[in-house]
Amino acid sequence: MANQLAFYFDVARCTGCKACQVACQDKHDLPADMRWRRVAEYSGGEWVRNQDGSFTQNVFAYYVSVACNHCEKPICQEVCPASAITKRDDGIVLIDEDKCIGCRYCEWACPYAAPQFDEDSGTMSKCTLCVDYIDAGQLPACVAACPSRALEVGELSELRAKYGDLAEVAPLPEAKLTEPAMIIKPNAKTKPVLAKAGRLANPEEV
Amino acid sequence: MGEQNFLVNAVTNTVLNRRSFLKWNAALGGTAVLAKGGLSFGLEKSDKAAAQADEKIVWSACLVNCGSRCPLRLHVRDGEIVRVETDDTGDAEYGTHQLRCCVRGRSIRQRVYNPDRLKYPMKRVGKRGEGKFERISWEEAYDTIASELQRIIDEYGNEAVYINYATGALGGTVAKSWPPGSSPIARLMNCVGGYLNHYGTYSSAQMSTAMPYTYGSRSSNSIEDIINTKLVVMFGNNICETSMGGGGGKVFALQAMKEQSGAKFILFDPRYSETAVSVVDEWIPIRPGTDAALVAAMAYVMITEDLHDQEFLDEYCVGFDEDHMPEDVPAGLSYKSYVMGDGEDGMPKTPEWAAKITGVPAETIVRVAREIALTKPCFITQGLGPQRQANGEQNCRAIAMLPILTGNVGIHGGNTGVSEGGYGIRVMGFPTLDNPVKASISVFMWYEAILRGAEMTALADGVRGVDQLPAPIKFMWNYAGNTIVNQHSDSNATVKQLEDDSLCEMIVVIENHMTPSAKLADILLPDITNFEQNEITSGSAGNTGYAIALSQAIEPQFECRPIYEMCAEIAKRLGVEEEFTEGRTHDEWLEWVVEETRKNNPDFPDYETFREMGIYKVTNPGEPSVAYADFREDPEANPLSTPSGKIEIFSKDLYDIANTWEIPEGDVITGIPVYAATWEGYEDPLREKYPLQMIGHHYKARTHSSYHNVEWLRKAAPQEVWMNPLDAEERGLELGDMVHVYNDRGRLKLPVKVTPRIAPGVISVPQGAWYEPNKDGVDEGGCVNTLTALRPSPLAKANPQHTNLVQVEKA
Amino acid sequence: MDVREWALIAFTILSQMAVGSFIILGIVYFFAARKWGEEEADRLSDRALLAIGPVLVLGTLASLFHLGNPLNAYRAIANVGSSWLSREILANVLFIGVGAVFAFMQWRKISTSATRNVVALVAAAIGVVLVFSMSQIYMLRTAPAWDTIATPITFFTTTFLLGALAVGAAYVANYAYVQRKEPGCADTQCEIMRSTLRWLALASVVLVGVHLVVLPLYVAYLASSDVAAANDAVNVLMGDYGVVFALRLVLVFVGAGILGAFLYRNASSPGREKILGNLAYAAFAVVLVAEVMGRFLFYAMQTRIGL
Repeated sequence: MANQLAFYFDVARCTGCKACQVACQDKHDLPADMRWRRVAEYSGGEWVRNQDGSFTQNVFAYYVSVACNHCEKPICQEVCPASAITKRDDGIVLIDEDKCIGCRYCEWACPYAAPQFDEDSGTMSKCTLCVDYIDAGQLPACVAACPSRALEVGELSELRAKYGDLAEVAPLPEAKLTEPAMIIKPNAKTKPVLAKAGRLANPEEV
Repeated sequence: MGEQNFLVNAVTNTVLNRRSFLKWNAALGGTAVLAKGGLSFGLEKSDKAAAQADEKIVWSACLVNCGSRCPLRLHVRDGEIVRVETDDTGDAEYGTHQLRCCVRGRSIRQRVYNPDRLKYPMKRVGKRGEGKFERISWEEAYDTIASELQRIIDEYGNEAVYINYATGALGGTVAKSWPPGSSPIARLMNCVGGYLNHYGTYSSAQMSTAMPYTYGSRSSNSIEDIINTKLVVMFGNNICETSMGGGGGKVFALQAMKEQSGAKFILFDPRYSETAVSVVDEWIPIRPGTDAALVAAMAYVMITEDLHDQEFLDEYCVGFDEDHMPEDVPAGLSYKSYVMGDGEDGMPKTPEWAAKITGVPAETIVRVAREIALTKPCFITQGLGPQRQANGEQNCRAIAMLPILTGNVGIHGGNTGVSEGGYGIRVMGFPTLDNPVKASISVFMWYEAILRGAEMTALADGVRGVDQLPAPIKFMWNYAGNTIVNQHSDSNATVKQLEDDSLCEMIVVIENHMTPSAKLADILLPDITNFEQNEITSGSAGNTGYAIALSQAIEPQFECRPIYEMCAEIAKRLGVEEEFTEGRTHDEWLEWVVEETRKNNPDFPDYETFREMGIYKVTNPGEPSVAYADFREDPEANPLSTPSGKIEIFSKDLYDIANTWEIPEGDVITGIPVYAATWEGYEDPLREKYPLQMIGHHYKARTHSSYHNVEWLRKAAPQEVWMNPLDAEERGLELGDMVHVYNDRGRLKLPVKVTPRIAPGVISVPQGAWYEPNKDGVDEGGCVNTLTALRPSPLAKANPQHTNLVQVEKA
Repeated sequence: MDVREWALIAFTILSQMAVGSFIILGIVYFFAARKWGEEEADRLSDRALLAIGPVLVLGTLASLFHLGNPLNAYRAIANVGSSWLSREILANVLFIGVGAVFAFMQWRKISTSATRNVVALVAAAIGVVLVFSMSQIYMLRTAPAWDTIATPITFFTTTFLLGALAVGAAYVANYAYVQRKEPGCADTQCEIMRSTLRWLALASVVLVGVHLVVLPLYVAYLASSDVAAANDAVNVLMGDYGVVFALRLVLVFVGAGILGAFLYRNASSPGREKILGNLAYAAFAVVLVAEVMGRFLFYAMQTRIGL
């Protein structure tokens, strides 16, 4: 039995195409406004117009695909008054709709915006890591969708052994807050967590 | 051979997969997945993603015009597609990788089950373009089309019937709209005397016209040859957005090749594209339409510092210097003369000269010119953006000068400067018979041909096959295309012209959705999607060729019918049913196609097996392909198909065209590729009124205008205009503000994405959003072509849709 | 801001006002009983005490509008072990329960006054826990604009400020009632009221002082923070809602500070009951509006770390 399943994300491989996001929406029949997996764009850089009409710049940009990170210290579970959020033995954090009261406290608390309010049911919903697929030995929809193989899923300790243990880059929150089960492989463009070099460039899309 | 290797690989990978899968399975607590059949590959039908008991999984594909034909596996329950998955054969290793579809393929359910779907045949009531229609029977629709078609042929001749460029159903075998000459409509027309054809495409017209003047063709090394290079230099090449899906394979190939080669990637592009995000090490922003100036300055650096490959130029090329020019050409017309200021304009093309025009600092030009010249081999490539300009023919030939100057043509790890190729499987096409009409026009000129068809000539308008067109276009077929409004230039003017039904008298639109073009139909026929019929497609994914047997997943929706049936019914009414069908149904033609394919390629599976497999893949058994390798090896024995047999830096043919064609003022055609300042370019004085250059990049939310009406995608990648923070600040704009983008041709209203990812002075409106004018004529859909110009490029007479000047203000 | 946030504003403001009123009422009762005897103290306080009930119930009902799935509302106390929200709801329920028991006992004079005092003290302690729990809900490590000592300070200041002024207004109303129904006791009650109002006015002036010290320090702290989300909150407060914030400060200063000072002066000398009454009502009303605005801003400043 796995102790803690985790996502792995390779910044260099991500083109921001959002196949993961829509594959997730298709898998879970989500409306367009509900995105259990989202892709944040972080970009920045300064421009200077030179005297001769040319310009110089130091622009950078990259994407980070984020779902629920099935944290080791899930703040959603910690704050949920209804005990509607549970963590399975394999680390998957699930919301039980039948228990949820729809107070949206987990939405306030989660720094990854993973829990999202479902207007229809009045309860919270979020990434289940495609628990039905996992139980059937299949990859989650998002991981199986990535045309660039920027996403993987696996046992956290094994992924760490393979890829290191970085779990925080801008614009994500510091990992210490919730101890996300996520590993990020940065590239030369990636800025450290809390960096002020750029900004979240697509706030409406995440 | 190839297939055998492939199967060996496949078996190896399956074993490896199975092993890692067992481990994975154990890690998860050991549910008995393998008992269900586990992984399979190749000939076995895959059931890895176990369907629920009452579900079936059907192989299909996304067939739109992105260059990919990505496999889809549709989960169908109770006659409805309930889930979409993609290729699950193969693994994550490049070469045996799964051909995973992109975000658009993932959203296919919202395209099939879309509120815009056309449900039954309709005819126009009221003025054309008003969008008012009345339901009619299929019989009435067929009768009307047949009788109108006959009337127009009788009255004006077959040259008055045009099949418009349309790419909404692309990649199939029978049910396909592109190339129009290979569609069932072309076969129908060829049974009744033919139709006015066109040459070129809205995608690549300038390049496909211009590049053969240099090389005799527009060939290139395959993308996997990047593994052999040290430096990749891209011009306006945005593979990671234009060719996103695994079926095109270019993104995954590009990333894999970058990782495996360790090559540095440089990109010249006005925009920090998704390709810049993912693979590019150095982005160098450049003003649209100025590529030829940049290249000339880099040539200046190479020549003055003696970094160019003089031996290569002497042996393989014509026109580099005055010693290697064709006869009967005056002095001073060589490329070197042009660059060094010894030519007609007397202007040395120094880096300082180019910096003013291109926006690229002189020291950057010098540094990169040296880097390109000194790094061997160097893979130089371009996308189709630089050529979709008012001086596009010059740009694409100019970019090809870099590999020519540095001797990178015809070798591994080098390239021709043309967009990269891939390995594919050849599948026989659906035969459409011969077109008795020899006249053809440029893809972009149908608008003119409606207006003044009978006046259009070869010398003034690029008419081919005849000296002059005999008649204007009176009947237009538009099957699965949105080019009659949305994807052509100057949508407002186009609509206005088409509203006059005394000009083009009949427009037949065959569509899935109520598009802006469909609203201009006289007769509007509801087509089924490729998920509602059987089809065959094939494509290239980097080093992997593949073919997919699409199986019908669901019943035809509403009253929709297949295109083949529509054409057969009309053929019957025109008395040519037998010629049209040859007694075959749509599915029987598919079988015929497979049989014909197997005659040339016995390894190709038979029809039944193929349909069982769903997907058939072959990995390139050999080396990555190299364009003109045999020419490089022995130029005498293997000449190019140019008149001289060599690389024509100076094309005598172009020189002659420049002297014989009726060329409008401002258009520049030259023997060598030069920087030509154009109308609505950076140097046009009109910039005082409209200071911003506007391009329209390809967008992940759409393939051109296909998928525009899919909610998931609209929310994932909203329509917005990109603008540099310096320009936004001058206008008091912030991220998300609603703005008007306008020029004399029209006005858009859409939100602004203020981002450092685009050069100052340039904005980009992602192309393909549906034209949606409000009552004041402001296009709230944000269609870039509301602002683009109808004036064609000089040589290809093609769409210059990235050459525009506009202004932006807060809405 | 949608109805769900308004529900929270109503719930937190009303609950805090109820807790504050209960405690202030208790303190006043304690001193009044010592000086004027239990009977007069009862006469002063009993009706005000009963008025707290509807306020609490109203607040609790409002909280239900915050829930997407109110049918499951009973589950809100399922995670007392780790969720401050559960603790808050539990405290709320207990406060209503024990408070109601006390009110009933006090109304019917059941058991001894010592026993009743014990029950009242328990209820008051639960009330303090309730307000503390409420503040802890927002002390989320992922919400830097909330996760400061300013949250509990502000919550308790609001609790006692609104409590004091509500009790003051209630006394004025009670006095008017007494004047009509029990004119014999009016003089004593008038004296008690004036004396009490003086202290309440003084308290409100002190409490508004706390607000006016804490709020600028709080804003300065957020503005100087390294955390982007904290800076964003300042932008919300000073930028998007700058006018509301300014108005909120002015109103609380006017309501509790200026009107409080007038109240204090007018309560010091007899014969100005009418002015006193109007002042007490006005101060309460103005401060209530100011506190609602303050709470609105509090929710508007919900800027979370991360995405």
